[in-house]
Amino acid sequence: MRAKLISAHGLLWLSIALVLVPGGQLRAQAADMKFQAFLLWGTDNAKPPAGKTYQPVAAEIRNKLKQLPIKWTNWFEVNRKDFAVTQREVCEVAISEKCHVKVRKLGDSDLEVSLIGKGKEVMKRRQSLPQGEMLVLGGNAPNSTAWLVVLKRTD
Amino acid sequence: MDNKAQLKLQALLDGELPEREANEVAQWVAQDREAAALMEELRNTREALAGFDAEVRLPESREFFWSKVERGIQRLDHPAPKPARESYLTLLRRFLVPASAVATVLIAGLMLNRQPGSSGGTAAAEMETALADSGAFTYRDFSAGTTLVWLSYPADKEAAKSDEADTFE
Repeated sequence: MRAKLISAHGLLWLSIALVLVPGGQLRAQAADMKFQAFLLWGTDNAKPPAGKTYQPVAAEIRNKLKQLPIKWTNWFEVNRKDFAVTQREVCEVAISEKCHVKVRKLGDSDLEVSLIGKGKEVMKRRQSLPQGEMLVLGGNAPNSTAWLVVLKRTD
Repeated sequence: MDNKAQLKLQALLDGELPEREANEVAQWVAQDREAAALMEELRNTREALAGFDAEVRLPESREFFWSKVERGIQRLDHPAPKPARESYLTLLRRFLVPASAVATVLIAGLMLNRQPGSSGGTAAAEMETALADSGAFTYRDFSAGTTLVWLSYPADKEAAKSDEADTFE
């Protein structure tokens, strides 16, 4: 009788562990991260440069950019890419001919982002990026303009 | 009248004397006025007491009542044996079962309550792992959920050679 009770206890705890531990791991690893990457051009002029047909950036991104300490008033969308990253895979996306972004999923919402400009790694960064949040990489461009690479996590 | 004579009268009244002695005592009572008076008094007393003498009945049979008394005495003579000392394995198990339950609940809570956006203090800790750009700065807007990394790339000299929208395009 006692042996039966002990084995029943053991089975109970074992089944709890089997349910909880793999469940948590699967939950952490199963889902892909989905992103939108934008290449933006910032200027104080109301129009894009001559000969370019850039569209103004979406309102949601423009509103978030307004809250950042960057001075440019108008942002135009040069290019946009949607992509997804799976666990332990590095996804490289060409946002333009000269600009690439490499993203590696590290955990639930943790990732490693590399910015490659003209074939050279300009920056590599690890951080958490929950759904809906944005990572904005930017720099100065000629004639008091700016470039931005916006990485937005959509899912 | 002495005490022995008084007891003889009581025995006659109670019907405890043999026939022959009862006849002798009855003749004595018939002849002796003091004995007759005492006999009468004893008879009256017995009748009076008989009316007040409540009859007590046991709720159980006499044999059963005395068997209970006997068992009580035997219990006192042979006290109950002390419980056997518990083994170390039992004591250990008594500690381990609730401890493992608490540990399981804690682990499950940690796993289930882990926020999707939390870093967990591992790889997610914000850091630049490789920065060719020493002039970069980082700004974090927690309310908007936005992180800005401003780079000095491309270098100003290089940028000056490019058209304004041609830097990354």
